[in-house]
Amino acid sequence: MPATDNQGSFLNRISIRRNQFAPIETCNDQEQENLELFQRHVADRFADLLYIHSTTTTAAVTNSNSNDHSSAAAAATTTDSPSATHETHGPPPPPQLLSISWFRNLLDTYLCCEAEFKAVLVSGRDPSQFSRPPLDRLIPDFLERSIKALDICNAVTHGVDLVQHWQKLAQIALMALRQTPLGEGQVRRAGKALNTLLTSMVFDDKENANNNFHGRWTERTRSFGRRVGGGGGNNKDRTAGNFRSLSWSVAKSWSASKQIQNMSANLAAPRGGESTGLALPVYIMNTIVVFVMWALVAAIPCQERNGLATHFQVPRNLNWAQPIIGLQEKIGEDWKKKEKKGTAGLLEELQRMEKVAHSLVEFADTFVFPMEEEKEAELAALVAELAEICKKMEEGLGPLQQQVREVFHRIVRSRAEIIDVLDQITKMSAPVPY
Amino acid sequence: MEPPESTASAAERIILRWDSTASEEAREKMIFTGDRHEIDRYLDAVDELQKSMSSATLSDSSSSAVASSTLQIAMARLEDEFRNILLLHTSPIEAESLTESTNSELTSQEFELKEEIEDRSFEKQFEHQESNSSTTSSCYKSTSSIREVDLIPSDAVYDLRCIAERMIAAGYLRECIQVYASVRKSAVDASLKKLNVEKLSIGDIQRLEWETLETKIRRWIRAAKICVRVLFASERRLCEQIFEGLGNSADDACFMETIKGPAIQLFNFAEAISISRRSPEKLFKILDLHDALSDLLPDIETVFESKSSESIRVQAVEILSRLAEAARGILSEFENAVLREPSKVPVPGGTIHPLTRYVMNYISLISDYKQTLIELIVSKPSTGPRYSSDPTVPDMDFSEFEGQASTLALHLIWIIVILQFNLDGKSKHYKDASLAHLFMMNNVHYIVQKIKGSPELREMIGDDYLRKLTGKFRLAATNYQRATWVRVLYCLRDEGLHVSGSFSSGVSKSALRERFKAFNAMFEEVHRTQATWLVPDTQLREELRISISEKLIPAYRSFLGRFRSHIESGRHPENYIKYSVEDLENAVLDFFEGYPVSQHLRRRSQ
Repeated sequence: MPATDNQGSFLNRISIRRNQFAPIETCNDQEQENLELFQRHVADRFADLLYIHSTTTTAAVTNSNSNDHSSAAAAATTTDSPSATHETHGPPPPPQLLSISWFRNLLDTYLCCEAEFKAVLVSGRDPSQFSRPPLDRLIPDFLERSIKALDICNAVTHGVDLVQHWQKLAQIALMALRQTPLGEGQVRRAGKALNTLLTSMVFDDKENANNNFHGRWTERTRSFGRRVGGGGGNNKDRTAGNFRSLSWSVAKSWSASKQIQNMSANLAAPRGGESTGLALPVYIMNTIVVFVMWALVAAIPCQERNGLATHFQVPRNLNWAQPIIGLQEKIGEDWKKKEKKGTAGLLEELQRMEKVAHSLVEFADTFVFPMEEEKEAELAALVAELAEICKKMEEGLGPLQQQVREVFHRIVRSRAEIIDVLDQITKMSAPVPY
Repeated sequence: MEPPESTASAAERIILRWDSTASEEAREKMIFTGDRHEIDRYLDAVDELQKSMSSATLSDSSSSAVASSTLQIAMARLEDEFRNILLLHTSPIEAESLTESTNSELTSQEFELKEEIEDRSFEKQFEHQESNSSTTSSCYKSTSSIREVDLIPSDAVYDLRCIAERMIAAGYLRECIQVYASVRKSAVDASLKKLNVEKLSIGDIQRLEWETLETKIRRWIRAAKICVRVLFASERRLCEQIFEGLGNSADDACFMETIKGPAIQLFNFAEAISISRRSPEKLFKILDLHDALSDLLPDIETVFESKSSESIRVQAVEILSRLAEAARGILSEFENAVLREPSKVPVPGGTIHPLTRYVMNYISLISDYKQTLIELIVSKPSTGPRYSSDPTVPDMDFSEFEGQASTLALHLIWIIVILQFNLDGKSKHYKDASLAHLFMMNNVHYIVQKIKGSPELREMIGDDYLRKLTGKFRLAATNYQRATWVRVLYCLRDEGLHVSGSFSSGVSKSALRERFKAFNAMFEEVHRTQATWLVPDTQLREELRISISEKLIPAYRSFLGRFRSHIESGRHPENYIKYSVEDLENAVLDFFEGYPVSQHLRRRSQ
């Protein structure tokens, strides 16, 4: 859209001229108001994300909510709930924290905040303000952080691909286990698919030490008790060929955890006089970017995520940040648990899938034909839950991936716009590199 | 229906014999690496089993469960066989298919070397060479297109298809896709590695020096061509050979599962370049990248034509449009830089300013890329009138060029206009007005020569504007002559030498002596100063000297002819007539050489 781009730079130039006559040194009232509005909106939007989560967990844990709208949440906490036959009435259930739908809301929130931020920062502003403190220091820092966020977006896109791959493996199991009558062959088939799934999850979660991988791999094979790959001799290659991994997306040395750490490094809340000026929205947006990226990395498989929980902290005394702090604490706790357990990611559907897959593998190990009725019911519940998870993934992962791409585009565009403004200033004195 | 029962059990026996969980032998041996007869027997057995299952009645649940179990054993076996055949043919794509056919006789190292050399000569052009022939096209236009190769020999493809058929018929499509994609993906990864497609993050790429990136861009272009036209296209064909017509668009699914990751990895580099910070020196490599990608686009659309690979097509188009945007941005950045270039120190001797050389070399390179840029540059330059309150932007009316020049040509003209505008400003920093005119003459003359030296540039700038430029440097030359020589020649006038009231020999000796002295002093001064000035173009220098001589020599000769006797009849004529006509003629030859007079004298006396 060259037209709008031109318009953008045109407006900037207009404002240069206007401000030649009336330079705005400090924030005026209108601007102060916009700033406060921005903070309030940020707080409100993230409060929505936090609120949604607390209501659903209350419903699930206490089971006192008559409007039982969260079959997903219930299924997550009590595995024996027959969630498959559930018919939901009324409004759709609000998304569970860290579920695919929740992430889609999170990314929407990001896009909204970002648009407002840019309006606050760029619109009608005298570009020369970008060359004076504090923006002269904060803006390059912000742009640097955007680049890092782009790499996270790419890593997450790859991670979603991997989750989709797991979903397909789960669907093999699902298809096999839905056969009636269920024979040993289909159970074995399901077990094999789920085993590949679980191994792939471990493979991608482990920190790329091959010996470690093979250790866990054989362990799992043994626990399953049945041949998984070809068995014996030269089949090491054959089984290894089974796994998808993240290794292709980035260089071996790339670490999502380090990337987040770098993003949150030197992210300091503005103090003193700066805390009411333009430094504040920049800091707020920085915090949002880091938080969103951090949450994505925690939820979606990404290369190397050691110590992620400690890599992002927000000062507690900021009003607008309270909901973000709440979310950060909750997710941070989950992450610490995850690091102990070694699951593939905090994505709610993923955690449940892993759990169900383990139960189903256990079921397959002890399967005898024909099944007892009790066993049959137990299986039906597990299959129903897996089906429900797969459905959510099927419906949600594609759009989520598209949204991540949208975030990517937005960051690129905003970065270009801000650089445009910066260029307006430097142009005045830019030497030609002859 | 007894007979099918017995064949089915025969089939089951064959399948169970190959159950690798049951016997060591079955585990160690592969069916498809062995006897063709055994392969066919096994495949027949699987067919037989499936046939008996589909005809069996549902009532007999226990026997159907047994059959289904046997089928699972067969499918697990076939999956292993399928994987094994694939694994036997995963060697990365052959070296000769990796290089383009025209260069196939070169090893890859030689190829690199050849590239480096080509590239160095390209960079030379970019430097401030006085060369007029900067026309080695560096556009990556090529006519070669998709070139599929056999990744797997046809007999193996046949086996794979036989297995895929059975697996899909038995409802094991997903397993088949998983196995296929995971094996092929590592093969593609290996090929990418061989092609030097690096796994650089966007952050890495932003941190690299531009020179390093230029090399990487060149490599990437080569790799991308091979990836799209050979590697991905061949993978696509392999998928079709094995899976086409087996339903559920299995070929498509396999292709995407295999290629999506590598394709994204490949395009990531171009994407990172497209969003890098803009600066003038990046323009041409970005255009190379743009041209290469736009060249590849039809092939990308062919290879990734299916709905499921839409995201890759979309990404390629997005990158292309970002590169186009970057090129536009850089051009406008360049214009601004030309306008604002702030150096104030006058170039000694009034010679060609480095900015002029830089800008003219830059725009002759632009004209090399005109094919692309004509498409990309669609909006007219933002000239003065739009910012009428800004006195630092020159005004320009392009209406006279309406319809006869491309937008790109308008930009080139505009760049020349603002270059002159900037140079005009710089010329004001010369203390000597004559030198300021000489400086403008030199620079505008250089601009004209550069335009004439490049047919592409000349065509775009057009004769009309070229005439204007020629007029401009001529005018500067005239202005120079006025500024310097009117004063000097004024000494040689008649007025004021004749004593008023006297009719016979009314020449005032003292006035005449003063005139000669004044002339001598002035000429000496001009000679001394202007010998150090520089007109680098020999022809222009010659013309200017001739033009000076044409005015100076006849005037001096006639002045000398009329008044010599008056001086020679007095005392110390050598004090007043210092120069003979030949002396002046010789002295004019010292002008604009850029050396102090003493050196000229030394040179002449040698």
